[in-house]
Amino acid sequence: MVGSTLREKSMKGLSIVLAWGLMCAWAPVGSLPSTLAQSRQKAARKDLRYSCPMHPDVISSKRGKCPRCGMTLRTVSRAPISGPTPIPAIRDTEDSLSFSSSQIPDSKVLDQNGKSLNFYSDLIKGKTVAINFIFTTCTTICPPLTATFRRVQQELGRTGQNVQLISVSVDSSVDTPERLRDFAAKFNAGPGWTFVTGEKAEIDRLLRALGVAVANKNDHTPMILIGNDVSGFWTRSYGLSSPATLIKTMTDVASHK
Amino acid sequence: MNKKNPVAKWPLLFTGFGLVMVCFSLSRFGSMVVTAQNSLTTSESRGKQIYTQGTSPSGKDVFAYLGDPSLELPGSAMPCANCHGLDGHGKPEGGVSPTNLAWEVLTKPYGVTHPNGRSHPPYTERALELAITCGTDPGGNKLLNVMPRYALSVQDLADLVAYLKVVGKDLDPGISERNIVLGTAGPTKGRLADISQASRAVTAAFFDELNSQGGIYDRRFEVKFLETAETPAATRAAMDRWLKDGEIFALSGVVMAGFEKDLLPLIANREVPLIGPLTLYPETGTPLNRQVFYLLSGVEGQARAFVEFAASKAELKNQSIAVVFTQGESSSKLLQAISEENKRAGFGKPRAFDYLAGQFDAASTARQLKTANSNLVFFLSGGKDVLSFLAEAVKIDWYPSIFIVGASSEIFGAPLAFSEKIFLSFPTSPADQSPEGVREFSALAEKYKLPKEHLAAQLSAFSSAKILTEAIRRVGKDLSREKLIQALEGLYEYQTGLTPAITYGPNRHIGAMGAYIIKVDLKEKQFVPAAGWISVN
Repeated sequence: MVGSTLREKSMKGLSIVLAWGLMCAWAPVGSLPSTLAQSRQKAARKDLRYSCPMHPDVISSKRGKCPRCGMTLRTVSRAPISGPTPIPAIRDTEDSLSFSSSQIPDSKVLDQNGKSLNFYSDLIKGKTVAINFIFTTCTTICPPLTATFRRVQQELGRTGQNVQLISVSVDSSVDTPERLRDFAAKFNAGPGWTFVTGEKAEIDRLLRALGVAVANKNDHTPMILIGNDVSGFWTRSYGLSSPATLIKTMTDVASHK
Repeated sequence: MNKKNPVAKWPLLFTGFGLVMVCFSLSRFGSMVVTAQNSLTTSESRGKQIYTQGTSPSGKDVFAYLGDPSLELPGSAMPCANCHGLDGHGKPEGGVSPTNLAWEVLTKPYGVTHPNGRSHPPYTERALELAITCGTDPGGNKLLNVMPRYALSVQDLADLVAYLKVVGKDLDPGISERNIVLGTAGPTKGRLADISQASRAVTAAFFDELNSQGGIYDRRFEVKFLETAETPAATRAAMDRWLKDGEIFALSGVVMAGFEKDLLPLIANREVPLIGPLTLYPETGTPLNRQVFYLLSGVEGQARAFVEFAASKAELKNQSIAVVFTQGESSSKLLQAISEENKRAGFGKPRAFDYLAGQFDAASTARQLKTANSNLVFFLSGGKDVLSFLAEAVKIDWYPSIFIVGASSEIFGAPLAFSEKIFLSFPTSPADQSPEGVREFSALAEKYKLPKEHLAAQLSAFSSAKILTEAIRRVGKDLSREKLIQALEGLYEYQTGLTPAITYGPNRHIGAMGAYIIKVDLKEKQFVPAAGWISVN
């Protein structure tokens, strides 16, 4: 299937996972998908939280009723969903294996200084990265997204974690490198944080590959893609979560073997 | 559960109050003096600044605290209007739907239920203060985590709440139900007085004519005029006072008269849209001045068009370029633009020769450029210096191609040997004028007895007014400055009938980016088109 396009290292990662699945279940190859799903569920169970469908801020580690309205709490994933509309992409944090570095195209992009870069080989290869999606004329969610990223960057810098931050513009026809530079300056973005724009067709292809393409830029999701290219582990997180939550996810991903 | 829900929340409401008392101590409203020219009270207009810009007119700090543990940001990074919109209706984005802040919605007697299920009793002024400072609604629920908590002075908070009670109901300065007040400006003394007079006459006539046809959406136009003073400081002060007190919605066709640097930042600061200022030096740097929309390319755009033109000609393509100009800030910016364009078009770095105005050493410059083999010479400042340079070049038997940005008929005095070697740029040409455009303008000129002179300035003023009214039509009756700017930024290939097609965008505020290139035929003493419209981006 995708085997021929996979990079060597991801190939290795995949084969380890396959071997592991086989060993655990003593199962024939035919039943592999369900075995994988089971083990994934198992892994996810310890991260389960319970939340009220009406009061997303009510979060409990045990089953029970909502203290506000009495509704039965439902299971949610590790990342608390605090947006009014649940975003499917964020909910399936345990579905990390569905995304791999091999899906990231080596698009020709420009950074905030107008420097030409190859998205995969210059920004992702061999690194742990957190990617969010913004546009400079976005006023509702991008300022909090970016401010949160800034705090994350400061904290990571303090603890010596090396996670590269990337903000990809979803409005490349308007967001020139100059606009990105002003935007970065406004939020005091430090080194190690790249803002990315480029030719519209190229950026659109990149966004599609990263699973965040939308028809209307105002619908862009506050999702953060966090990945460790060395281990090939990728996950998604809700960008408006608290910096502490994001830092924890990033640290986990960075130390993922 | 719905039945139980509101009742269950009342105790929480009071707990919320208790909490909040610890957060901030609040006082009641400030003075409410109604000013004559604005429908907002002074308190409300102060609140409006906090709402739209996140800064206090008193100069006191406004901070936004986001999330828990919180991030401290200046209020200006997250003013209310960012999410809730200038009209207070809320701008949904990425799954976040900011609350509609209309006071009658927030204070519905039976409470409010939000789309995400959060419900609470009606807001009061007090409850609104708590929402802003502590992030809780009247039901004691925590607001969404992207709504910051704000720290601001007691007076500022009172002003903000006063404005929130009328948000979305106030019209921008200069607009009323039946009227739109526009402004235009220019000198009435000095060498530009006649040009300014002609431009003003066209603007006044255009809107008189529009009024006689019923105006736009039942609104009539009133045009006010500001006489610019002779010094930059006096002009700046006069303009600032005028824009502040004059209730001017937008400006059309202002004659800049060298005061660009003084007036443009001020116009942006007062957030007054300006369409079609008459200037050779449109601002092109970043960040873009969002309020100012130019019609035609200035010197920079034309110089870029020259480079494009040279790149398209086989005989000019491999030449080395020199740029000759008088020292000054605008020249160095121009040189940078030419260098950029050169790089893009595949030329090498241009040689720059600058000199102090009035001290041009034509002989030495010509010798140096010949030695350097620069066979394509840009003159950013025309006039007599070009002619003396050409005379010196003939003496040393050197005939480079000469590009001059804009020029007068003086150029026909150049040595004959340079025939068809001199190129001029023009930001517009008679070819842009459509029969309808000409008819429309002539009818206005006849009816309102417009002056016969300074046709270029008149056409500029006319086109500016036409673009402005087109954008006002596109916005509709619910007009605001912000919507006007958005409508202007949406214009694509708009035909004024008198200029090249006008296109604006969020990164482009020069309507016609490019130039026509004209060759000078010195034998027949005429201008010959060397290329059609060359567009640059």
